[in-house]
Amino acid sequence: MTRVRARYLLVLLAGVFLLLVVAAVMSAAMAGAPLQADSAALRIGIGIVLTFLVLLVLRYFALLWLGYLQHIESESLASEYDGAAPTPAVTLIVPAFNEAPVIQSAIRSLLELDYPAYEVLVIDDGSTDETYVRAAELEGRHGGVVVRVVSKANAGKANALNTGIALARHPFVVCMDGDSRLDRGTLAAAMRHFTDPKVGAVAGNVKVCNRDSMWTRLQALEYIEGLNMARRAQGFLRVVNIIPGPIGIFRRETLAAVGGYDSDTFAEDADLTLKILTGGWHVVYEDRAIAYTEAPESLLDLIKQRYRWTRGILQALRKRAKWLAVPKGGFSVWASLLAMLFEAVLWPVMNIVGNLFFVVAALTAGAADFVVYWWILLTLLDVAAALHTVAMEEEDLSLVPYAVIYRFFFVVLIDVAKLFATVDELLHVKMSWGKLERVGRL
Amino acid sequence: MSINVLLSTIILVSFVVTLILAVGSYMAYKVRERRRPAMIRPGEGDEPVFFERFFPSRTEVVPVERDDRAR
Repeated sequence: MTRVRARYLLVLLAGVFLLLVVAAVMSAAMAGAPLQADSAALRIGIGIVLTFLVLLVLRYFALLWLGYLQHIESESLASEYDGAAPTPAVTLIVPAFNEAPVIQSAIRSLLELDYPAYEVLVIDDGSTDETYVRAAELEGRHGGVVVRVVSKANAGKANALNTGIALARHPFVVCMDGDSRLDRGTLAAAMRHFTDPKVGAVAGNVKVCNRDSMWTRLQALEYIEGLNMARRAQGFLRVVNIIPGPIGIFRRETLAAVGGYDSDTFAEDADLTLKILTGGWHVVYEDRAIAYTEAPESLLDLIKQRYRWTRGILQALRKRAKWLAVPKGGFSVWASLLAMLFEAVLWPVMNIVGNLFFVVAALTAGAADFVVYWWILLTLLDVAAALHTVAMEEEDLSLVPYAVIYRFFFVVLIDVAKLFATVDELLHVKMSWGKLERVGRL
Repeated sequence: MSINVLLSTIILVSFVVTLILAVGSYMAYKVRERRRPAMIRPGEGDEPVFFERFFPSRTEVVPVERDDRAR
């Protein structure tokens, strides 16, 4: 066993030991609590659940603190260049499969970016609707921006993006969704990071644009609070573990080195990010590189999306199972992979099991007070995190009250879908790719 | 009945109902996916999933030549 391997194993064991110690302390504390629990198992269970609570609080503090550091660093980087940042040429790759309702508005929005040198390359992935015809109407030179449209046989988004990478004329590429819309300053903000030659990719900031129902407003808050908080923290450590599908900015050289997108997972963006990270490149986060996307508007579409994401992430992690056990890319890459596994599997399981356990404890051991404090604490944490992140993003404050509904309903619905996805993935249940139906709100 | 007991009852009932709704929604999603003609991903179906490496030279595309069109 190498020294590095032994060191990581030691860190893992220390972590597990620390959790066991906290669980033991919590269990001991339960001995003095006014519970009618005669069962030692129940007391130990409550101790474990409270340990989970401690972990949850620590996670919040760690993410908020690292996220704040990233925010300071990002501000500092922005003021350092202040309009004098390098502006290398960029190719925007827009894969489109049956995006007829939104493709023209998406291309037009891309012509308005505040950046001096870029081209737009639309890859029609064998659409069966009028996507190609509508995109081709905008083909040609528009001021300083050239729009190219190519059509190919349908082979999936990963293949379409690979085609775009192969046909790109510039050293940097932006991979996005056919229905994404970019903020005008996205490219200028993102390209600053590439002055560091170790940076292989920049993860952008995804925002929900269709905030006109409870489901989409909850998702808007989730993106701001949950996803960006974790991404900011990972960005500070240069180990963002998912470059979102709607906005990823890459060095073409990096993509060539790792072999582009693979087609063997349901989350090609997560899979590619892990390939880049484990290839030794840095992946950073830029909150000003904003892409707007349509969120699922119905509950079943939302479940379908999260089910696919979870299975895709697990598939991507399974491909790098050896990396989880024998880390090779430094502590932060290893920690980022573990965090991914934790968020995708352990977190939802603990959330559901923890809540179920409290139901049992409350019914059998008179732990009603604990249930109330548990929920109040979680909700307060969510509201505090929502306020913090909404303020940092200068977002809509009216989203903050949704943090209460978020904890009560949304998290449970999503975690159950993740749990089923995990079970299905472990059992190798067959799954179809599917496609989220767009209503063309962009 | 103390306020804590009342609140905890509300929380527990909400949680259990949400949990039932969540499982029901997942079942509904599965039923919908079975009824809908599935779009199987390329490389899926009866063939095993394989690692498809990216080779730019093998990529076949049909470029459309329409340059210098005014905005």
